[in-house]
Order: sequence, then C-alpha cells, then structure tokens
Amino acid sequence: MIARAILRFLARTPWSTAMALIGMALGVTSIVSVHLVSASISNRLDGLVPSTFASYSHYLHRDELDSADYFALRRLWRAGDLPALKQLAPLVDETSQIDGRSVRVLGTDLLANLPSANANTLVGPFSWNGVWVDESLKDQLSMPINGIIDAPKGTLLADIATAHDLLGWPNNQLSYIGLVLNDPFAGSIEIAEKLLPGFGAGFPSAEPSLDLPPDWQLVSNAEQYPAREFGKSILFNISALGMLALLVAWLLIYQVAVSWLRRIWPVFDRLHVLGVEWQQLRSYFLFSIGLVASLAALLGLAVGWWLAIWLLQISMPRQAVNLSLDSWVIFKAVGSSVAVCLLGGAWAFHRSQRTVSHSTLPISTTLILLVTATWCVLQPQTGLAGGFFAIAVLSLAASQTIAPLLIGLKRWASMIRGSYLMRIGVREALWHPRELSVAIAGLSLAIATAIGVALMVDSFRVDFSQMLDHRLKYDVIAQGDAATLNKIAAKNEVARLYDRKQIYRTTDIRVAGLLMQLDITRMDAFESSRYGYSRNLATNDILVSEQAGRALQLSVGEQLTVAGEVMTVAGLFSAFGDLKPRIIVDQHSPLTTAFGAGLKTKTNNRLQIDSIAFGSDQPDALLTDLRQRFPKLELRLQSDIRRVALDTFDQTFAITTVLITIALLVAAISVYIAVTTMRLNRKTGRQLLNTLGVNRTEQLMMNTALGTGLGLVAIIIALPLGVMFGWILCNVINPRAFGWTIELQLSARALLYACGWGMLAAIAAGILQGGGREEGAFGER
Amino acid sequence: MTKPAALNVYKISKHYQDGSRRIDVIADLSFNVAAGESLSIMGPSGSGKSTLLNLLAGLLELDEGDITLALKDQSFSYRAANERSRTALRRQSIGYVYQFFNLVPTLTVLENVRLPARLNHRRDLERHASTLLGEFGLADRLNDFPERLSGGEQQRVAVARALLLKPPLLLADEPTGNLDAENSKHVAELLFSSCREQNISLVLATHSNEVAAMADTRLQLDRPSPS
Ligand SMILES: Nc1ncnc2c1ncn2[C@@H]1O[C@H](COP(=O)(O)OP(=O)(O)OP(=O)(O)O)[C@@H](O)[C@H]1O
Ligand SMILES: [Mg+2]
Repeated sequence: MIARAILRFLARTPWSTAMALIGMALGVTSIVSVHLVSASISNRLDGLVPSTFASYSHYLHRDELDSADYFALRRLWRAGDLPALKQLAPLVDETSQIDGRSVRVLGTDLLANLPSANANTLVGPFSWNGVWVDESLKDQLSMPINGIIDAPKGTLLADIATAHDLLGWPNNQLSYIGLVLNDPFAGSIEIAEKLLPGFGAGFPSAEPSLDLPPDWQLVSNAEQYPAREFGKSILFNISALGMLALLVAWLLIYQVAVSWLRRIWPVFDRLHVLGVEWQQLRSYFLFSIGLVASLAALLGLAVGWWLAIWLLQISMPRQAVNLSLDSWVIFKAVGSSVAVCLLGGAWAFHRSQRTVSHSTLPISTTLILLVTATWCVLQPQTGLAGGFFAIAVLSLAASQTIAPLLIGLKRWASMIRGSYLMRIGVREALWHPRELSVAIAGLSLAIATAIGVALMVDSFRVDFSQMLDHRLKYDVIAQGDAATLNKIAAKNEVARLYDRKQIYRTTDIRVAGLLMQLDITRMDAFESSRYGYSRNLATNDILVSEQAGRALQLSVGEQLTVAGEVMTVAGLFSAFGDLKPRIIVDQHSPLTTAFGAGLKTKTNNRLQIDSIAFGSDQPDALLTDLRQRFPKLELRLQSDIRRVALDTFDQTFAITTVLITIALLVAAISVYIAVTTMRLNRKTGRQLLNTLGVNRTEQLMMNTALGTGLGLVAIIIALPLGVMFGWILCNVINPRAFGWTIELQLSARALLYACGWGMLAAIAAGILQGGGREEGAFGER
Repeated sequence: MTKPAALNVYKISKHYQDGSRRIDVIADLSFNVAAGESLSIMGPSGSGKSTLLNLLAGLLELDEGDITLALKDQSFSYRAANERSRTALRRQSIGYVYQFFNLVPTLTVLENVRLPARLNHRRDLERHASTLLGEFGLADRLNDFPERLSGGEQQRVAVARALLLKPPLLLADEPTGNLDAENSKHVAELLFSSCREQNISLVLATHSNEVAAMADTRLQLDRPSPS
C-alpha cells in the first residue's frame, strides 16, 4: 500500500524522476570518464618502458660490466648481505643495426621469465633462438619471431645468449643489472594508483639502502626513463584534478538523494501522521533511491566509457584508443555512487526528521581542521599527503560557508536594487539555503577547481616557456655518437657557419650520498644567463637546479663540498622535466680536473661530451652541413625543440580543459536539480506572478537573474578557494612531488574563463524549466 | 437603478478532464457586474468558485460563451484574446487576491505593492503605494519581507497591491478564509469600501455568510454532477 502510494507519486512526476536518474548517471559518467582518460594516458606512458623491464624498480650500472660481477653480487645477495633486494637479473640493452634498421636489442634471462606475449599475436612456432618484437618490427626482420610485446617502436627482446649473438658481443658482457627492491609502501601506492590513475607518480619510491661497493651506481626506473617520468608528473597534476572532479560528482549524487527526499517528503509526512513508522519509511526511501543509484551507475558506466573514448580521440587524434572497464573503475564508480547515495540519503532523512539547523560540522571542528591544514602547508615534511589534506579541508570549509553566506546575504537582500523582476530572481537564489547550499557548494568547487588548475597550467606554461627561452639560446644542438662529438669538439671540423660553439660535458656523481648530474661547460655571461645568472661563473662557484637545492637543502650563498672542493652556490635554476638533481660548474673549475677532463668514452661515470650547441645566423645551412658530414649525429633546430616542447605541453594539458568541462557540467546539473526541487516544493510565487500578468519573457529574465545570483554566490566562494588551490598546486604539491616550484601567475584569462563558464552553467541551470509545469506533491488548486 | 455592466459573463462553460472522468464545473453561466458594484460567489467546496475566478482572470480558457470587460475606451473580449493579451489584461486591468501565498516572498512589503506599477511602467503610482499602506495601517512595515508579517497583515498588503492601479476589476478568492473573525472583518471592509469608492467591480468567492452579505449581489454555485 505504502509502496503503491510512493510509486504513484513518482510516476506522476516523471520528469523529476528522470532528472534524478540522469543526474546520478552523469555523476557516475564523470567519475568513469575521468578515471579512464587518466588510466589511458598512464598506460601510454608505461608503454615507453618495454613491458618486460617494467617490473624492475632500479638498475645497477658499472664500468665494463660482465657476468662475473653479476654472479659476485648474486652471491652477496644469497648470503643475506643485501636484505633490501628482492630480485636481480642480468640485462643487455644496446642499440644496433640489424637488417638495415636501428633496433634496440634487449636481452634478459628468459628461462626466469618468459615474456607474456599477447596470446593472439603469437607469430609462427616457438623457437629458442627466436625473438620477441614490438608491433613495428613485426615483418621487418629475417630471424624467427616468437611473439609481439608491448614496447616502444624498434624494440627487440631475446634471451641473453641470442642478444649477444645479434650484437656480436662476447658472451659475458652485460649492460646493467635489473633490481627489484623491497618497498614497504609499494602495495599502498599501487592501490592508490589503481583508484586514482597518475597518483602514484607523486610519491617518491623508497630511498634504497643498499650496501654496495663504491663503483656501482644505482639508478631508479624513473631516472632510467625520464620522458615517462615527466609525463607522469603532469598526469599527477591532472589526477589531483580528477580527485576534485570525484568530489564534485559525489556532491551531485548527494544532491540528487536530498532532492529525491525533499520531493517525496510530503507523502512521508502524511503517511507518518497516518501511523506508518519512520523506520519503515526510511527503508522505503533508501530502497527506492538505492535502486535509482544502481540503475544510474550502470548507465553512467556505459556513457562514461563511451565519453572517455571520444575524449581521447579528440585530444589525441592519431592514437588508437583501446579502453577496458577494469574492476577498479567499476568498484570506484558503482561502489562510491551507491554508497554516497545511501549514506547521504540516510543522513538527509535523519535531518529532515528532526529539522535540525543546517550546519553539518561544528565550527570548532572546521577551525581545528583549517589550522591543521595550514600547518600541513607550512611543513614540508608532511609531504604530498599534507598538500592534499589541505585541499580537502579547504573544500570542506568552503562548502560549510555556503549556507551561512546565503543567510548573511539574505539579510542584505533588501539592498539589491534594479528592476523588480531582477530583484525577485537574484534574491530567490539567496532565499533557500537548505535546498540550494549543497548544489551551490558543488558549483563552487567545480569553479574553484577550474580556477586552480587553469592558474597552475598557465603559470606552469609561463615558467616552462621562460625556461625554454633561457635554455634555447642556441640555434642548432648536436647529440648522439660520442666519437663524432669528440671530433667536433676538438677541432674546427665544421665550416664557420656558426659564431659560437658550446660544449657540454656531463657525468653522474654523488654529492652527500645523492646521485646528481654534473654539467661542465664554459660558463661565461652568455651561458650563465641561460640559467638566470647574468655574470661569468667563478671557478669556485656552482649553479644548482631547484631539485638539487631542495635535496641538499641549499640556498644561494651557501657552501657545498664536492669531491673535496668547497664550492659556493651562486644561483638556483628551475629545471622542469629534469629528474636527477643537477649542478653546473665552469670548465676551469677544480671539479673538471677532479672528475677527469680526459675525453674517455663508453663509461658511465667519467666526464663525457653530452651535446654541442651552436649559435648561428644561418641555422639551416649549418644543419645541412652537419647532417651531410656527420650522419650519425642527432641534430635538432632550436625552433623545432621549442615547438615540440610546447606542443607536448599543450596536448597533455588539453585533457584538463575537458575534465574541467565535465566537472562544470556535473555541477550545473546538480544546481538544476536543486532549483527544480525548490520550485516543486516551495510555492515560489510563480503562479502568483502569472496572475499579476508577468509574461513568459519576463519569467525568463527572472530565471536568468536567479541563475546569475546562484553563479555569483558560487563565484564569491570559488574565487578565493580557486586561487588557494592554484597556490597549493604550484607551491606545495609540485615542489613536494617533483622538487620544482611554479611561480603562481594570477592570469586574468584563467580567472575569467573559469568564472565565465561557471556563470554560464549556473544561468543555464536557472533557465532550464523542464520540471516547471509539474505540480508539487499535492497540487495547488 | 441599472448601471451599465462593466463585467459581462455570457453563457460560459468550463470542464475538466480527469482521466476518463469529465467534470463539468461551470455550465451555461451568465451574469453582469456593474462598475463599482460587488458580487459574492458562494457554494460548497468543489463547486467551481476558484475555477470561475480563474476564468475571469483569463488564467483558464473558456469552453463556451464569452466574458467581456469594459475598459476605458474599448471592451475586452476574452474569447477573441490569446494568452499573451490575456496576460497583458491581467497586468493592466485586474487585481487579484488569493486566500494565501499572495505576496512574492523575495520582495519587501513596499516592493510587493509597487510591483504592478513597475510592471506597467507607472512610476507616478509608486508614491501612492506607501500612502495606501499607511492607510491600511502598515506604515512601519514597508521594508519587511512578507515572512515577517501576520496572516491579516499579509492580506492587507495583498489588497493594497490589488488596488494600486485602480483596475476596473478586482477578483478575490476567499480573501478572508485564513483569518480570524476580527481580521476577516477588517480586510473585507477594506475591500468593499475601497472598491465602492474607486468604482471598481469586485467579484469575491467566500464561504462566509457575513462577508457575502456585504456584497451588492450574491451568486450561488452548486457542486457539479460528474457524468
Ligand atoms: N486542474 C484540474 N484538473 C481536474 N480537475 C480540477 C482541476 N481544478 C479543479 N478541478 C475540479 O473542479 C472542481 C471545482 O474546483 P474549484 O477549485 O473551482 O472548487 P472551489 O469551489 O474553489 O472549491 P473550494 O471551496 O474548496 O476552494 C472540483 O471538483 C475539482 O476537483
Ligand atoms: Mg477554491
């Protein structure tokens, strides 16, 4: 009987019922699509590392490594002298010409682990001297191919013995040793990564404590594959945004549950008067809303999957998109939406029952949280968790202020001037704190997210392109084959098509136990200016990258001892994308001799030429000349580097625009649902205005004013909140995750863009009138 | 004494369709109200009082017959008019008082009364609004929002608003239904005397014999028989 009463009521307001379903589905859609997009980018970045190598967390390098070294190490490990080590394997990794193509040959002990080739891509019968290749080499090689692996273009994987044959190496030579180190946090980081793809990148892997002989060098996976790591760091920033999008989606789902309850409450009230127990009514309510949530979750899952594919296709047109709904995203989307819905619903029911005041958290708790958050922001040792905690607390505090703000503004409402219809509309936005505050909080949060991320991206871009400006002072850059570089460095082998030649030598060193990159070059005023230092670098001076400064806790003017030499820090420079901390000295510095200026090659930790840069009036002619004479060199034009760098940057962040749009859309829907419910259950005077002769156009105007009012309230909160988000992203999250600071630029474009779209979303929510014609729970006659 | 009819209702009918059930609420009804005169409508609940008033306001469409309202220099025929022009008619020439929910909650008392003047771009009448509210004993409540007012005060504000434009026709649907005896009498007297003074035709639906007795004419409606 009760069920029938409720069902009939819902059937009589089909539009609102459908809106609830759609609203919730949209929340789930946004969760799913944000997740899938991030996961797909993350996978693509993982593709930069051959899949067979992905399981190693670190690599060990050494001069002229051979299998005897490996077995010595293995004996140590077996004896229990290297407790941090879980697993180790000898590896071959060298690029060579095979069948006329440049192929990166990877050799590993295949007896220990056979590559997991995709089952359907097995090519031909299995053979022990066969190889595995990536898709691009499939039909290009003359040797037997066992299968296809996920790896960058031009990669070949074989058993060590086969690899030796292919490279023509003696059979005891190795490139390096792959290690798996025990990391107590690995498990939890992996779960975090599964739930919020991209999140893992910000958490440093455990600092390994291996007692190794001094000539060994330990390199992390991140250092071995810097491009992937830089991509991951950007993705990490995006996933911070994903977290906020998740929050907005939850708010929407909660809003739907609350609206649902508000709509059905009059029925419950009467049923209760007739003697039905609250408990029973609550079960009915939770059952009905739970049913809607489950249906919506399924719908959202499908739409989200489709949306993610579409988004990826437009943002990365040339890539094949292949997404799968794994159990994590299903758990996250369905589980969280049903849970939020039921918990939120039960909470709303509880509140409706006793008409308590609307404050959800006591002010003192909020204050304590805020103080803790401030402390987290100020204390670097709280790490990333501290940064995210601060963001969460700020969001919470901001949503707490909405209801009091509305009440406060309502007190000033009679001051609002202008046309009467406008007054009605704008004031209406302030009149119903109970109904509207959750939705406004969602909108506020979405706008703030948009502001924060846009500020961060814009600031990042400014700093990034400034860095490019500084760094790209040369017109042609040559890298690659060491012998050729040495030849060019030594003599004037090149036609005088340039007016400046800059030689960079580099090596990895340890400073205070930390692995760093040491760059040595002629640091005159011109070169120094590339690092924001405008004078000749004195022989006992040193420039350190932000990351190095942070790692060594150094600031300008302080001293640092490297290889027994006391050096003074003359400047800090920003180095986005650098993974290793970096220090730069002049070529006449005592460090040059300390690390042996001898131009020996083929070693890992002796000074060698990394690149040579030319300043030239005729870069194209120079490029052609170099290319003809030294075909083995990798040559790049400055303008190309710049374009590619900025393109990559923009492309990666293009996805943020899309994610923000989704968040705003979700927020707008939640405002719309709240406004519709408010209109349904409160006599808002629409009929009265109709009687007074207010026509359709004027009603539209009023609704626009209402939307504008809602938007304004949301923006009042969102502006400071968004700027704080931006500041935290630039000055807390990024430094703690990657060691670099981004200087926050309050770009008007970013602010206007976010507020403008937020305002549009609010106005649309106010204008849309789908449910306007439906009557309330009990129609007014 | 027969004054010319200001409001002429001629053979109107109205029905509702409730699923398969047809309710003929008003059937073949005719009457006249002269300028400055009043008509009270009585009848049991569900007899169609509100429906009739809504027809007179142009909020509902007629099935049959016609209603004409004499304006300054022409007469307005409801049947020939579309929704737009009926809306314009309400705005300019009809005052309406409901039983409750008369006031726009987001406008102050003064703004509520001034609203018709604003809608009709009659700034000249705005000053009149505070005078009117003063006469109705609400001089000190001008800047309050309606939620702060008692039921009787709210009804007086509603009457003031309905009178502001001195419209030819004022409709009131149980304007005293929510009030105690004293307030009820006060509001009814305000309504009747103001309309008489300002030559406004008043049509008023009520359950109260006392209020109905104050009108010049009485109309009794019967509960419709479903067919
Ligand atoms: N929108 C509608 N749809 C269907 N039937 C309606 C509608 N509005 C009114 N009715 C029916 O028309 C009849 C007259 O209703 P109306 O509201 O005019 O009565 P009333 O005389 O004003 O009653 P009361 O004294 O209770 O206010 C009633 O039977 C009612 O059920
Ligand atoms: Mg009625």
